[in-house]
Amino acid sequence: MRGRAAWRFVVLALFLAFMLVPLLATVLFSVSIRWDRSLWPEGFTLRWWQAVTARSAFLDTLLHSLAVGAATVAVSVALVTPTAYWAHLRVPRAKPWIELLAIVPFGLPGVVLALGLIRFYSGVPLPLINTPAILVAAYVVLTLPFMYRPLVNALEAVDARTLTEAAQSLGAGGWQTLLRVILPNILPGVVNGSLLVFSTVFAEFTLANLLVGTRFKTFPIYLVEFTRFDARQASALAVISFVVAWLASLLILWLAGRGDRPRETLAAR
Amino acid sequence: MSERRRRRWTAWIVLAPFFLFGLAFELLPMLTLVRSSFTTAAGWSLGNFSRAFTPVMIDSFRNSLQLSAVTALLGVIGGTAVAYAIVTSRRRVVRDTLTALADVTANFGGAPLAFAFIITLGSTGVVTLLLKAAGISLYPHFRIYSVSGLAIAYVYFQLPLMILLIVPALLGLKPEWREAATNLGATRLQYWLRVGLPVLAPSLLGSFLLLFANAFGAYATAWTLTGPDVNLVTVQIAALVRGEVQLDPALADALALVSLGVMGVCVVGYRWLATRPWRAAP
Repeated sequence: MRGRAAWRFVVLALFLAFMLVPLLATVLFSVSIRWDRSLWPEGFTLRWWQAVTARSAFLDTLLHSLAVGAATVAVSVALVTPTAYWAHLRVPRAKPWIELLAIVPFGLPGVVLALGLIRFYSGVPLPLINTPAILVAAYVVLTLPFMYRPLVNALEAVDARTLTEAAQSLGAGGWQTLLRVILPNILPGVVNGSLLVFSTVFAEFTLANLLVGTRFKTFPIYLVEFTRFDARQASALAVISFVVAWLASLLILWLAGRGDRPRETLAAR
Repeated sequence: MSERRRRRWTAWIVLAPFFLFGLAFELLPMLTLVRSSFTTAAGWSLGNFSRAFTPVMIDSFRNSLQLSAVTALLGVIGGTAVAYAIVTSRRRVVRDTLTALADVTANFGGAPLAFAFIITLGSTGVVTLLLKAAGISLYPHFRIYSVSGLAIAYVYFQLPLMILLIVPALLGLKPEWREAATNLGATRLQYWLRVGLPVLAPSLLGSFLLLFANAFGAYATAWTLTGPDVNLVTVQIAALVRGEVQLDPALADALALVSLGVMGVCVVGYRWLATRPWRAAP
């Protein structure tokens, strides 16, 4: 019995160390005066945080990323919620096709999606290339699995059919039913999906770099630029990225309560 | 009848925006790649593919496939071990905290993660210095800015994903099976070989495929950590997108299509294994 407990302790301790050391090192590094020749930082300072957040590019890129994240969430909710609800209720035959569109992004590397979008939209007379709009569209595609799954789970959990029949027997119209009855009931699913979408978009580098690049710098692009010339300031930016992802995950966990639910997760790398 | 048909037709109308969006930003861009990679001046041909596979590109596929296979395997083995330790832990705090940690870290990745590894295991990294003080010199034999360094960073996002994927399957292993096996005189090894692993096999294989795809399509981590130094498929495609697409677009499209094929096999395999009806081990 003792041998088994020891085995578990070793596995979990190694796991914790591997997962936490890089994060804690980054946090500590960002407040260290210097930590590249001694075992412990040569004193602590907030200088790097002040320097990196004082730049105008810091606020610009942060706002760009927040805006793109919010726009992606808005478009995705507006597009996926009515579709998932309507298909669930009225057109079950459409569900496999929606599901297909929502699964394909799992198998779509960011570089390939970027290439496809550039190749297609440089051939049609639409002024989308190099604009934040095409970035948002690409993000909606990339995050479709994250939005669709929680929504469908929520719709299945609340018995949308009975709710709809009840609402309509009381004289509610289609949109009224969706907005006033269904939406409040599936809100946890919508919020869960939105948080996953937002945290994915906030940290996404590949599509931002290839689709808009320096024309519309996002926070991850700013971060990667800094890793090339100032490690200490870059570490402060990395900490901000981690904190945003961590807050989003905590909110999701908090909303989900203690239920053990499988979720499909595959953030953009 | 015609009234019903009309209603069925209008029911589809509501779904139109979603399908149009999918068509415009998901399907048509991919079909453009398919068409252009099979088209040469001479018409339909496989010429682009044979031209695309220069020694450098073959090398990039070999590196990507190897990196994906190794990190997926490490993720499956390590993730299953950790997940098993988590679900069999008697303390609720341990179970909840570690599942939450996996949940949170599964969302970490890309540029910030790569940078965290530079700080940890770079040439003057925190752990590098620590190991040096303990008499173990990582450098110059090991470099975080190489394929093996990249593998370590990839395992960081493979592990939590594997844990999230396999925990439900592990919870599905009924304690009764183990008791039955023990009552019939089976050893622990026999239980695992004859009952545990066969039941878990589809989940393990499916997760391996998903982890493989996860690594194969990754770009941001590799780019932040190693720049153009490590020759991967995604790094090659990104380089073509940024610069040389105008020179030889069909080449990039052919490469993209081949990697799409690799990803497609993985995701389809994963879905098939995940959704196929569960059968009890005979």
